[in-house]
Amino acid sequence: MEATFIAALAGLTSIGAYYVGARALGLPSARLGAAVGKMLESVGMVLIFLAVNLTTSVLIVLVVRGLADTFVSAYAVDDAVWLGLSLIQGLAFQSWRGSAAEPASGR
Amino acid sequence: MDTTVRRGDRVCRTIGLAGIVFFLVSAFSPLAYRLNQWMADSPRLVASDAIVVLGGWISPSGMLSLESLRRTNRGIELYRRGLAPVLILLGGSTGGGPTEAEVRAAQARLHGIPADAILTETRARTTREEAARVKALLEPRGVRTVLLVTNAGHLARARPLFERAGFEVRGVPSDPLVGADAPESRIAQMRVLVKEFLGWLYYRIAGYI
Repeated sequence: MEATFIAALAGLTSIGAYYVGARALGLPSARLGAAVGKMLESVGMVLIFLAVNLTTSVLIVLVVRGLADTFVSAYAVDDAVWLGLSLIQGLAFQSWRGSAAEPASGR
Repeated sequence: MDTTVRRGDRVCRTIGLAGIVFFLVSAFSPLAYRLNQWMADSPRLVASDAIVVLGGWISPSGMLSLESLRRTNRGIELYRRGLAPVLILLGGSTGGGPTEAEVRAAQARLHGIPADAILTETRARTTREEAARVKALLEPRGVRTVLLVTNAGHLARARPLFERAGFEVRGVPSDPLVGADAPESRIAQMRVLVKEFLGWLYYRIAGYI
């Protein structure tokens, strides 16, 4: 029930956003596909950062366990904050890539 | 340069699409619940020599995590059903606070389990260490069959470790076996499954199981 409600509401606001974009803001509908593609690229970049962050932290935990006489739990890397941090890193990196691909503005 | 960028874009796009599909399927389908149920197998609730409740997590102030509480309650329930004469509770401390095993033992005593039927082990820090410590604790007592209590995803890794330690293992999942409908609960369950899968993979590669 809850899942259906959430999915229906997200669908509804997405349709609303499409109408606002196409009618009120005059955005070309033909560019929506390309925009979705860009969104997928950004999500992909965030996931790459997430994978790199988690893999690196697990490796550090294992190295510390192997070298030092202290125990560090692998669960230390199990924190939702990684998703938020990876989101910031991924979006920033993707914007940087995007700006590098644009022609210089002269400023 | 342009070709490399475009190839990079394609890779990102594919990963992004896969991530979004995985997220939507996890949140809006019963996949996580089904996977968990499949991993749980059906619990073998038969009379055994001991009940072993694996550690979860405890806060530095001494509050058991939800999963730790679930496992403890399941262990207490098994004892009260007369399925074994001994209840072994595991779990160390976090940041110098009380140990999980002692907090669990206090809870078990509150539920009427006699103190001499409870054993605690507070030094093990990983599942592998838990199997070794429990072996050292129970071998002199001639314990062979154990009811092993932990969450379903964790059982896949814990069961072979305890079997290697010489026990005949009857896995008892601590998970509430009802399908969660809320997307957030489904995502949380999928997160546990992914984490446990990675743990299982690491143990396989390291040759522990």
